[in-house]
Amino acid sequence: MFPYDTANWSVVDGNMFMLADTVWPGVFTAIAAAICVWVLVAGNRSEQEQYEKTKK
Amino acid sequence: MEQQIADLAAQVEALKLSAGVTNTNFAETYYYLTIPLMIIIHAGFLAYEMGSSRAKNVLSSGVKNILAFAFMIPTFYFFGWWVYWGFPTGLTLSEGPMGISGAAYASSIAWGWGPSTAAMGPNIADQASGVFFGAFAMFAATTASIMSGAVIERIQTVGFVILAIVLGSFAWVVAAAWGWHADGWLVTQWGVHDFGAAGLVHAVAGFFALGVLMHLGPRIGKFNLDGTANHIAGHNMPLTVTGLMLIIVGFWGFLMACVIVPGEAWSWFADKQSTIYGTPITLSALAFNILMAIAGGIIGSWIWTKDPFWMMSGALAGIISTASGLDIYFPAMAFIIAVSAGIILQPCANWLERRGIDDAVGAVTVHGTIGLYGVIMLGVWGWGFPALAIDNAPVITLYGQIVGAIVFGLLGFVPGYICAGILKSLGMLRVPAAAEEAGLDTVKVPSQGYPEGIVPSGPASS
Repeated sequence: MFPYDTANWSVVDGNMFMLADTVWPGVFTAIAAAICVWVLVAGNRSEQEQYEKTKK
Repeated sequence: MEQQIADLAAQVEALKLSAGVTNTNFAETYYYLTIPLMIIIHAGFLAYEMGSSRAKNVLSSGVKNILAFAFMIPTFYFFGWWVYWGFPTGLTLSEGPMGISGAAYASSIAWGWGPSTAAMGPNIADQASGVFFGAFAMFAATTASIMSGAVIERIQTVGFVILAIVLGSFAWVVAAAWGWHADGWLVTQWGVHDFGAAGLVHAVAGFFALGVLMHLGPRIGKFNLDGTANHIAGHNMPLTVTGLMLIIVGFWGFLMACVIVPGEAWSWFADKQSTIYGTPITLSALAFNILMAIAGGIIGSWIWTKDPFWMMSGALAGIISTASGLDIYFPAMAFIIAVSAGIILQPCANWLERRGIDDAVGAVTVHGTIGLYGVIMLGVWGWGFPALAIDNAPVITLYGQIVGAIVFGLLGFVPGYICAGILKSLGMLRVPAAAEEAGLDTVKVPSQGYPEGIVPSGPASS
């Protein structure tokens, strides 16, 4: 996971995060965004169910 | 011409001196400011614990918490600081490869008597020792506060303070010496990396609390005869949730204090910040990852619980689950890990409760379980990162992080279990049942939390 060929910090002069300079950071950003959307959808469904209960 | 060169050289020297003064004062101020920020953690724990207590115990919970904070500082001064510098290579107390550890070194800088007092008191030539000591003393007090919440409403005050001293001025300090020091054997031999102390502060304190709880037992009325648990609600949920938010605020100071600033004789580098291991870190990295972790923890907890107590505990769990690698996670990874921590939080707490453990505020889960989860997660994602800023450094591995997690868990649980057992045998652990039922404020606090009750008021007439 170290984004440089040599496992030594002396070669690092820029990105120092995991999987830097690969597509994976972008993939993780997309997953994080998808989680947010899914949580809002699921949360809204649950919230509406609670409101429905009050109508009965 | 020669005169001009001499003048220029003198100006360069003056500039270098001035820059050095500025850097030294910046470094001192940097750590100095982490101290009041970390005191906000304790303001948070105080509010959190008092809110989680029933009204009849609100002040005794506060007294216990305040007293732990007070005793942590002198005991850390008396011997805790020495333990940190003396123990990194293990129980041999020998000097490590960096030459900043071992009994002789610790005795030269960390005793409050003899020649080492030069580093343990006001000294015009030393602008570092006091602020470093202060920051570490606040880490110590944090461990005591973590344990404090778990044991509310039935522990004796002095017995608790003794446990707090063992945890805050010894147990976690050994963990820090082993896993949070450039000479620490967990670092040099296993590549353990725990930048933000998920294991060596949170897990140690959480598992210490578990060891204590096993001897202390549950509050009266917590469990039914068939083993099922009753929820004992605190008297003020808004105070509890606000306290949790204050803890989150204070953690910015805690994590800021985990950074080594550049340019000083004791710095790793002249030109860049580093972690305590000498590996690179920036405050920008912390800003990205802490914020994403807080958000992830809240969102993960909200999915299942919809409960503000668990959501704010989730924020804390988000930070703790990513703390080991806040220096090297990508923000979206920190978010995803924190979401997962938020999701597993309440089920883990329920699992513990089903085993008869009455952890009044979920401290064992939030700090202990999630702390170990965070240490191990870094082993999964951070495999291959150099653990020290030296040539041929050990690298972070999953098995190294698992070893670290086991050691941290044991360094918490074993002392907690043994000390609580001793205090129990001496009759100093649990309050009598009659005192517990009457309420600890009535029994031992000479003031009232709510002398007028909580009286509703009407709106002012216009």
